[in-house]
Amino acid sequence: MNIKPEEAAAALAEIERARTTMRQVIRAHRGHYHLWIWGAAWIAMPLSAHLLSDQAVRWFGLICIPFGIASMLVGTTQSRQVRSPINRRFLFALAALVCFAVVFPVVLQARPEPKSIYAYTCLVVMQCYVVAGIWTDTYLLWLGLLISALIIAGLFFLPGVFWLWMAVFGGGSLILSGFYVRHFWR
Amino acid sequence: MPDLDELIHQPVRLRIMSALTSLGAREQVDFSYLKEKLALTDGNLGAHLRALEEAGYIAVEKAFVERRPKTFVSASAAGRKAFAAHVAALQAILKSG
Repeated sequence: MNIKPEEAAAALAEIERARTTMRQVIRAHRGHYHLWIWGAAWIAMPLSAHLLSDQAVRWFGLICIPFGIASMLVGTTQSRQVRSPINRRFLFALAALVCFAVVFPVVLQARPEPKSIYAYTCLVVMQCYVVAGIWTDTYLLWLGLLISALIIAGLFFLPGVFWLWMAVFGGGSLILSGFYVRHFWR
Repeated sequence: MPDLDELIHQPVRLRIMSALTSLGAREQVDFSYLKEKLALTDGNLGAHLRALEEAGYIAVEKAFVERRPKTFVSASAAGRKAFAAHVAALQAILKSG
């Protein structure tokens, strides 16, 4: 098959146009909406504890409900257009991680403070990000490691402003990484 | 100089392969969504997908999403390789001119 250089140029231009269209699609299907939604949740929860008291931890589950619904709706809509079949081994690895995370405090008979409970829960979520990052997109791995370090730093070195620290650096990091993923990733 | 792939070079199939190879290796796109993004008709897209599937360049998977049948399409490893070779051939022709 022989074609002229002008035809080759036209074909390459067509390829670039189609790729540009798909790049926009890919951008719209990255995890940034979830990062924004959960970033907002991670700001709302510790901020309520900072403004009210440590006992606001009791309401964290309730605070998560609307954000969880929003995240589920976004996930359902996106999977109708572009989807990545989920590896069962990955799901089992996450399930094992969460099961052990629930069992550990029971075995240790821990009676932690609200701040420790929240830090522990956030660290477990970040561990899930790290596992997901190893399996899929590496940005999740780096994000999980970064926020884990920030959580530990806040808990041990800045306990007086822990809630505010978590709202700014926990939730804030998720929201900022959402923008990074939206505009710069891939 | 690498050879052009006649099957891929057809304009609509070229756009389809460009779009599918832009996705990640594990990602699949919904038939209707692809049709909308490439501004094609059902029949046109379906016919070209069949040709690409027969050549082993794409994988077509049918699934039920919320009890509705959906068709998801992705580029196969062989399709990605063939498309990369085709693009290299186009670039070589452009340079030689």
